Amino acid sequence: MEFLSALTPLFFGLVGFGVVVGIIFGAIPGMTATMAVAVCLPMTYGLDLTNGLALLLGLYVGGISGGLVPAILLNIPGTPSSITTTFDGYPMTQKGEGERALKTGIASSLFGGLLSALVLFLFAPTLADFAIKFSYIEKFLIILFALTVIASLSKRLLLGIFSGVLGVWLSLIGAYDVSVGGNGEYRLMFGFMEPYLESGFSLLPVLIGLFGLATIFQEAEAGIREEVAGDLKLEAGKPFSFAVFRGQIVNLFRSSAIGTFVGMLPGVGGSAASVLSYTQQKNFSKDPSKLGKGAPEGVIASESANNGLTGGALIPLLSLGIPGDSTTAVLIGAFTLQGIQLGPLFIGENLATWDTMMVALVFANLVMFAVMFFAIRHIVKVITIPKYLLYPGIIMMCVVGAYAINYGIMFDVWTLLLFGILGYLGQKVGLEIAPLIIGFILGQQAEVYFVKSLESFGTLSIFFTKSPIAMFLWVLIGISVAYSIFGLIKARQRDRDHGPDQ
Amino acid sequence: MPSTGFLSVRIDFSQSHLFFPTIIHWILLVLAIAIALVYGPGLIREFREGKRRLLPKGSDVDVLRLGGTLILTVAYFVSMDWVGQFFPNRGLGFLIMSVPFMFGLSLLYVHGLTWRRFAVIGLSSTISPTVAWYTLAQLFHITLP
Repeated sequence: MEFLSALTPLFFGLVGFGVVVGIIFGAIPGMTATMAVAVCLPMTYGLDLTNGLALLLGLYVGGISGGLVPAILLNIPGTPSSITTTFDGYPMTQKGEGERALKTGIASSLFGGLLSALVLFLFAPTLADFAIKFSYIEKFLIILFALTVIASLSKRLLLGIFSGVLGVWLSLIGAYDVSVGGNGEYRLMFGFMEPYLESGFSLLPVLIGLFGLATIFQEAEAGIREEVAGDLKLEAGKPFSFAVFRGQIVNLFRSSAIGTFVGMLPGVGGSAASVLSYTQQKNFSKDPSKLGKGAPEGVIASESANNGLTGGALIPLLSLGIPGDSTTAVLIGAFTLQGIQLGPLFIGENLATWDTMMVALVFANLVMFAVMFFAIRHIVKVITIPKYLLYPGIIMMCVVGAYAINYGIMFDVWTLLLFGILGYLGQKVGLEIAPLIIGFILGQQAEVYFVKSLESFGTLSIFFTKSPIAMFLWVLIGISVAYSIFGLIKARQRDRDHGPDQ
Repeated sequence: MPSTGFLSVRIDFSQSHLFFPTIIHWILLVLAIAIALVYGPGLIREFREGKRRLLPKGSDVDVLRLGGTLILTVAYFVSMDWVGQFFPNRGLGFLIMSVPFMFGLSLLYVHGLTWRRFAVIGLSSTISPTVAWYTLAQLFHITLP
């Protein structure tokens, strides 16, 4: 019960604060949970690990949950994962049932979040125990698997893989680190860059640039349009009651489970989870024709899945050190900052931290529910904060995050700008940011595991013959590649049947 | 373990920093060629038919706001560093330059400027940097420019 001493009022206060800030970020269209975590990172610099995590997990849960507000009221998904919430949530608002839709979504979010936290609590330690036995060879194969999964779920297969590999390439810039057995030589740059790039680009400025600054450039290009909410009649129609969940228990469990499972797959992102659970609900629904026209069951499916993601994405993060989505990718940066190396050893060596994390996650879900359920009418007003006040402040916070990460290096601020521009232009030519970031995070490890394995065994065949686990991982990689090729062929056929624009 | 067969690899330690990057370069090259083959013909056709342009039409892009954001951001970064050198380790470069930056950017972004909005922008761009500076630099002792 060592962890109980860490549960101070400050700890709970920070979770609550994080949730509220996260909800605000999630509720403003164009701003995401990833951005909330990235922008608020500097605040954790001054906190210890437990309190820093409390804040970050609050932001994470709040950010994912807040997305339902504009989805339901404005027909604009606040986060990518709430896209399917718009399908039924917005029609409900049009019928005057806005408050009913919001509260249905909030209660479903709570259920999804809690179920996924339970799954995380049960499975992450087991997976980590199993992964402790992994040698460099299995670790390399895990990373390879992660990269193939990203590819199979990118919008365009080849561009997704290219983005992932490009991320790996970017991570290799700098010296081949002596501390991991490298020879300390510089590569992939010109001589004049050496003083700045000895240890490569720092992760956080890269992340904040790609997710924070790039978004603002995109919005600036579009002219910073304000979404007009108009006159919202929240409760003209049917009021909310928990009776809405009658007959939806299976839906709740299935959608939360889909969310959790999809969250576990690296690099997949939230929209896949909610789209998948929404289509499943449509398949199993007693009256599928109602879906899309303002059926609460659609909101339930979408929202429980997208909060199911939160626990799911933390499973590979905490047990293998592999981020499940872009938000957990930012969390990796936060852990590194606190001197924690995520991986199979993390939970076993930091039991107290692990327990406090679980408390923070569950508490964050409860606070999210309490805040949103009872104060939803005030939160709704957040979507009317003008962007011309908001965005300049975000750029300012991005600068703080980048500058302070290595205790004051101006080069990190320029990295921020460089990657902000790269993210903005890259998306125009079809680069996909999530694979790029995951490649960037895993690239250096992939190199060390690969090169060191070859140095000790001297043959490529070792990757196939080392252990049964290695062979099993190859099977997974094979399935993932086959799945993506199958998806590609199916998409081609659909294009041929309906024309590419369908 | 003896290394035999065509899969055997020898890595020269002094050159080992280039081993993995070389592989990555080859993969990127192969992917680039594949992308060109898959998407190239369609793109060329779209360009010929005029459905797609190298640069988007001026009306699709808010040149003023996008360009202004870039220029203000660069100016902000440069000036913050420069001003900060006069007050080392106090974060004043950040505070002093954030106010005009936020003020300028808000003015650039706002549609339909009124006196009321002007006043709100003025207040917001003074208060937010001050609060950020006070909490981060003073309370949390975080290094700022």
